[in-house]
Amino acid sequence: MLIAFLLVFTVSVNAQTKKGDVLIKNGTVLTITDGTMENTDVLVRNGKIDRIGKNLKAPNGVEVVDATGKFVMPGIIDAHSHIAGTSINEGTSQVTAEVSMEDVVNPTDVSIYRALAGGVTSIHLMHGSANVIGGQNETMKLRYGTTDPDDLRFEGAPRTIKFALGENPTRGGRSRGIQPQTRMGVEAMLRNSFSDALEYKKKWDAYNADRSKRKVAPDYSLRMETLVDILEGEILVHCHSYRADEIYMLMRVFDDFGIEKLTFQHANEAYKVAPELAAFGASASVFSDWWAYKLEVYYSTAYNAAILTKNGVNTSINSDSGELIRHLYHEAAKTQKYGNLSDNEALALITLNPAKQLGVDNRVGSIEKGKDADIAIFENHPLSVYAVPQMTFVDGVKYFDITDPVTDKRLYINPESNIEDVVLYETEDHHLCMKDAEMVDFYELFNNK
Amino acid sequence: MKLQTRKSTFRLFALLPLFLMSLNVQAQSDYTGESPATRTYAITNATIVQAPGKVMEGATIVVSNGLITSVGKNVNAPANAEMIDGTDMYIYPGFIDGMSHTGTKQPEPMDRPNNLFSPDPPNDYAGITPENTVISQVQVDESSISNMRKAGFTISHSVPQGRMLPGSGAIIMLSDADHPDEMILKEESSMFTQFAGAPRAYPGNTLGIMAKFRNLYKNAELAKQHAEMYEDNPAGLPRPNRDRVLEAFYPVVSNERPIFYDAPTALEARRAMRLKNELGFTLTIGNLEQGWDLIDDLKASGTNVFMSIDIPTEPKDSKDEDKSDEVKALEERRMEFYNKNLGQYAAMAEAGVKFGISSMGTNANKVMGNMRTIIEHGLSENDALAALTINSAQLLGIADVAGTLEGGKLGNMIVSNGPLFDEKTQIKYVFVDGDKYSYEIKEKKAADEGGSNDVADVVGEWSYSYQGPQGEASGKIIVRDEGGTLEATLTNDSGQPDVELKNVSYASSMLSFDYDFDAGGQSINIVFEGTVNGTDLEGLLDVTAFNVTIPLTAMKTSSPE
Repeated sequence: MLIAFLLVFTVSVNAQTKKGDVLIKNGTVLTITDGTMENTDVLVRNGKIDRIGKNLKAPNGVEVVDATGKFVMPGIIDAHSHIAGTSINEGTSQVTAEVSMEDVVNPTDVSIYRALAGGVTSIHLMHGSANVIGGQNETMKLRYGTTDPDDLRFEGAPRTIKFALGENPTRGGRSRGIQPQTRMGVEAMLRNSFSDALEYKKKWDAYNADRSKRKVAPDYSLRMETLVDILEGEILVHCHSYRADEIYMLMRVFDDFGIEKLTFQHANEAYKVAPELAAFGASASVFSDWWAYKLEVYYSTAYNAAILTKNGVNTSINSDSGELIRHLYHEAAKTQKYGNLSDNEALALITLNPAKQLGVDNRVGSIEKGKDADIAIFENHPLSVYAVPQMTFVDGVKYFDITDPVTDKRLYINPESNIEDVVLYETEDHHLCMKDAEMVDFYELFNNK
Repeated sequence: MKLQTRKSTFRLFALLPLFLMSLNVQAQSDYTGESPATRTYAITNATIVQAPGKVMEGATIVVSNGLITSVGKNVNAPANAEMIDGTDMYIYPGFIDGMSHTGTKQPEPMDRPNNLFSPDPPNDYAGITPENTVISQVQVDESSISNMRKAGFTISHSVPQGRMLPGSGAIIMLSDADHPDEMILKEESSMFTQFAGAPRAYPGNTLGIMAKFRNLYKNAELAKQHAEMYEDNPAGLPRPNRDRVLEAFYPVVSNERPIFYDAPTALEARRAMRLKNELGFTLTIGNLEQGWDLIDDLKASGTNVFMSIDIPTEPKDSKDEDKSDEVKALEERRMEFYNKNLGQYAAMAEAGVKFGISSMGTNANKVMGNMRTIIEHGLSENDALAALTINSAQLLGIADVAGTLEGGKLGNMIVSNGPLFDEKTQIKYVFVDGDKYSYEIKEKKAADEGGSNDVADVVGEWSYSYQGPQGEASGKIIVRDEGGTLEATLTNDSGQPDVELKNVSYASSMLSFDYDFDAGGQSINIVFEGTVNGTDLEGLLDVTAFNVTIPLTAMKTSSPE
């Protein structure tokens, strides 16, 4: 009883994240859901968007930000990130549904501040792609400045999990001499895992239905519990994938098991199966123009996002990188050069669409009354090559202001570190996707060991 | 350090039968002649600090057959006591180490089995052996026992070496025993765990370890229910599958045994608390290095804590006069975090967190110096003493027998030639279990007594040699005076890269320094302390990580012009 009380108490303490009040005056407001509004004010009360309109008055004590000549947009959401995590892959087993990135959030990663400086307010901290069913991901708000990982939690966001197809999990399998070593093995592993989960659920259902007091519980498996939650639609699946055939394969598997909530990550060949994705209701979260870093990623096009969008697939553009995350607005703008997307369509790729993929579009992704005040202010239109982020707010609290004096933003400093060792890009992370995963070398890869 | 031979001659023939009886207990036949003549000691006319803040001057303490029998001003020494004149001496309760590997020998790492199925390795390989006890790793002749004792530690809560769940800890007396069992004060006093994954097998890192822990705990709860039901009445119930790993969790599940988590960083400590809050076990965080942001969380979750005594080296700002403002600002912030780190002990005491001290990863001969640095950063001497004695005793649940100097408690104490935390103070005796261990008081030659603090004694080149694990090692120690600060480089004749030495200091004819050594990806700290006598240097390299000390000698080959 005491423990239960303490638990509730701790949770409620942790839930007290900062909420701000601010009046953003006279900007060009890019709402995403309700067009563009010139010379418009946005009033934020207690972390929520309270009013959008002209000539709003600041209530007593509420700070006013003059956005005259500036662009006000919803905070950018990165649906695929590996910043702010101390581990990325539990790659030792090919199904690790039981592990969760929420256990390894590192709130002191200065990459968070860099992302804020690019107008990003939320990220999807993903498990890596070393295994077929990887760990659960963590949807976070970039409330930089806290040292408590729980303060970054996007409270109320649905659970999500990482799956991976193709070369990454099969390389892992080959390096350990375990399943899967081929794409066929990946599919078999998925089907076996879900079938096992159904058996597990049957056992527990029977146990729970048994009215006898002298009953013995089946073994508990956090892994199976998680898989059951996927089958029951409580966890959204985000699947690392490249090739059209494997994308199509996963949709068939999910059809067979009745799983609906599915986003394909990377999905460089998704444009080949765009109508099928739309028919399934699956989403895609892609790069603007990044490919050819391994064999399965050669057949790619910069028109991917535009083709998917025009086919009615909910599409986002992600970074998967501590560097690209700083200019996702440029990444989105590339879809106007390659695919002629409208301003609104292009901006939705980095705001409302990823919000939908993470199941948080009721809270963020657009500037609407009642939504969280996660807002970025830009000098010049965010899709312009001259765009420069000016301020970034999360829950109405300003976490980035370009006019702030340049200071050391690190939250923890090793007293034994050398000053000379401080480098701006120390956690630049193009390759984190396979961090902690035991990799085979190229000799082994091409000798099919 | 062996038990000291009694120097005085026997005077008490009347007590000879009693003496023979106790000798009988000590050893069947002591051909070495090293057994003490009596296990009764009386130290008279000393300053006795019974507990932090509780000081008696000119007092006497009597220890007999392992226990303190009386402490006070009007105490008469028993006739059979070895008398020790405590004039100008200070007596303190023996230190209690909250969590360490003291006395343990690292087990041979298990070879990777052929065709290991990495998702589900054998428990021994995964490092999941909570059914083991640290006593199976304790070796009575481990140098860490005598090294820690020399530093004033009389009791250690020792935990096994290994990976995620290496076994249970035990509270042991740091005595000179013939068999580890003799050292045990309390066995299976904790379940020890740490964020140490299995090499290329599950659980491989923090992600897998957190999940594995939850999974084991839940299954232990279920298995315990089953076992209890079966015990009560087996009729019609399936026979429980015995599982030694889950069974080791039973006392944890019923809150009879605490979990001790080795969690030095703030993030690791928060993870441990997250597991505690989810699962409801009793938690002690050991070896905490970054606690300054955790005070409220520790209190709210009811988590006990042993702070690490392994403090960072004070940062040295660049002496470049043209350094940029940016560098200055970075140096200031680095110093801010150094101060935060050192100041956290005082902050915790002020916030009412009763913390103990854990020596894990710290060289025994650095403990007192580090404690002094912590005191310089605000911790009161009383709180420092409490952390080393009574707090640790309370947190380990042994305050009824240890932690203060009171009649009836264990005869564990430190006798020093001055106030404990004074830089010049040295330990003269340590009593463990009522047995006396004597140490030589080195005459620290103060400058005015002809001794030397003159750095010119050491500046120059020394050629050294020592017998290392791979045979004899030799090279040069090059000591430089950089504007009042000593700097030094260690070279070697085997072609290894030179090493810049840290914390180089010279005082009272003692040269000390330390350095980090890369042992295949693991950084090992080595501490040297030695005495300079003209052109001779003699001292010890202390490799705490491996529990070894290696004698090193050097000769001065050149001095600057």
